[in-house]
Amino acid sequence: MTAGYLAIPMLVFLSYFFFYPALGLLFSSIQTQNSQGIIGRPFTLAHYARLIDVDLYARVFWNTLRISVITSVLATVLAYPVALVMVKSRPIVTRIITLIVIAPLIVSVVVRGYGWQLILTNGPKGMLNWLLMTLHIVDAPVSILYTEKAVIIGSLHVFFPMMVLPLASALGKIDPNLEDAARMLGAPWWKVFLRVTLPLSMPGFVAGFTLVFSLTAGSFVIPAILGGASAIMLGNLIEQQIFVVYDWPFGAAIAVVLVGVVFAVNGFSMWLLEGRRLRRPA
Amino acid sequence: MNERFSGFGAWILYAITIAMMIFIMAPLLLVMAVSVSDSYFVTFPPQGFTLKWYAKVLQDRDFIDAMRLSILLALGTTVGSLLFGVPAAFALVRGNFRGVAAIKGFLLSPLIFPALVTGLALLQVLSKLGSQDARLNLLIGHIVVTSPYVIRTVVTSLQLVDENLEDAARTLGAGRLRTFWRVTLPQIASGVAAGGLFAFMVSFDNYPVTMWLANSEYSPVPLILMRQLVNVFDPSVPAMSTIIILMAMVGVLLLEKLVGLRRALAA
Repeated sequence: MTAGYLAIPMLVFLSYFFFYPALGLLFSSIQTQNSQGIIGRPFTLAHYARLIDVDLYARVFWNTLRISVITSVLATVLAYPVALVMVKSRPIVTRIITLIVIAPLIVSVVVRGYGWQLILTNGPKGMLNWLLMTLHIVDAPVSILYTEKAVIIGSLHVFFPMMVLPLASALGKIDPNLEDAARMLGAPWWKVFLRVTLPLSMPGFVAGFTLVFSLTAGSFVIPAILGGASAIMLGNLIEQQIFVVYDWPFGAAIAVVLVGVVFAVNGFSMWLLEGRRLRRPA
Repeated sequence: MNERFSGFGAWILYAITIAMMIFIMAPLLLVMAVSVSDSYFVTFPPQGFTLKWYAKVLQDRDFIDAMRLSILLALGTTVGSLLFGVPAAFALVRGNFRGVAAIKGFLLSPLIFPALVTGLALLQVLSKLGSQDARLNLLIGHIVVTSPYVIRTVVTSLQLVDENLEDAARTLGAGRLRTFWRVTLPQIASGVAAGGLFAFMVSFDNYPVTMWLANSEYSPVPLILMRQLVNVFDPSVPAMSTIIILMAMVGVLLLEKLVGLRRALAA
């Protein structure tokens, strides 16, 4: 069939500018850089060992995993109500919620990080502190900016739509009669949710969780703006190694580890979704 | 209120939903409020009203140059990713060869690959090739990350096309190209437009690929903004940010008009 040939330009382009560079990066991560900055033999796994052995680097790795997991869990818990309301309300409400959820997705991450910097500014001039102190919730300003908490709040804001959209699409496919039946048979609302809605929306949850986790793990801008020196993530470490230290093999090794983590999570979620290990909505 | 929700459960759902809507809008609204506030250092609550920061931004050569570069880059990226992506989507839906699923997976793989790593890997290859022109390098990098979006939206709309109409056109004597142009394209136009608009917006906002491939001479808007934010704080940052927010809102409304947001973003 001739239509197949139409994919060739795209295949060649991506092979050359995506697949081949990715392999090149993998290759440099097991090579040695000499004092002139030239990368070559001998082959070594020393860069990977350094990521585990040096306490500072290992901490960045665990920080990244922890921030990504917490962000994904928070996104899940908060996205379920929003997705439920989005799916089951009148069309006009659905439309407004959809617009509000999606609109920020298209605003540059730098701008959104900046907005959170303004809100979380330490000291009495920050919006959150002003609000908390005006309402007499706290007496002294709280310090959230430049901590892991600020990075989690920022990441949640940036990637929240990635959780709501797949969840809403899964919830929309559930036959409402199933929930009505459960309710008529006397189940309270929380039981209907736990026994009917939640299990049937699992494919959306798995897809959303994977997306939020992968995107958070690979972030650079949000930790750079909101995390300061105390909440550095793998992306920031890679940038430092390449642009400041000029250590290409080590930078490449960190990048390979990041890709490995993201692939592992994606692989696991595909295994869950495609093996029909989850009950799908009828 | 919908009768599906009632009692205590409904209250929790609505309360969380409203809280999240505020959470989503707050940072953007605050940036916009601060952009017209009349003090050099940002304080809360914002004080006074002025448009002087906008006047300053519009005279800022660096920002204007960055804006021009970003818009041209996004336009080039849109054209490039449509030229590569639309035929590829056609091949995936109509091609009848072994390994279609594997090829589709390969073509969409930049979507799950951390973009930061895509950019780094590309930088290594391009510098080995001796490709010095940052504009060309950025164009290549942006097409890599945007073309999967085009492929995805066009594949979705191609799957809805009625092939009988094409057969009818062919039977009545139209050539392949004419059939595509007059029968297929009008049916997938909204998908193509959505893909193109996506490519434009993703390119315009892209940071993780751009940060590796830009240089001091050619820096797109997100990079300029980040530099002014992190290094020397410039009081016109809120005004620049507001301009970007307003541009994004126009994009969202266009997308909503063209295809409907939920459909455009459905994976």
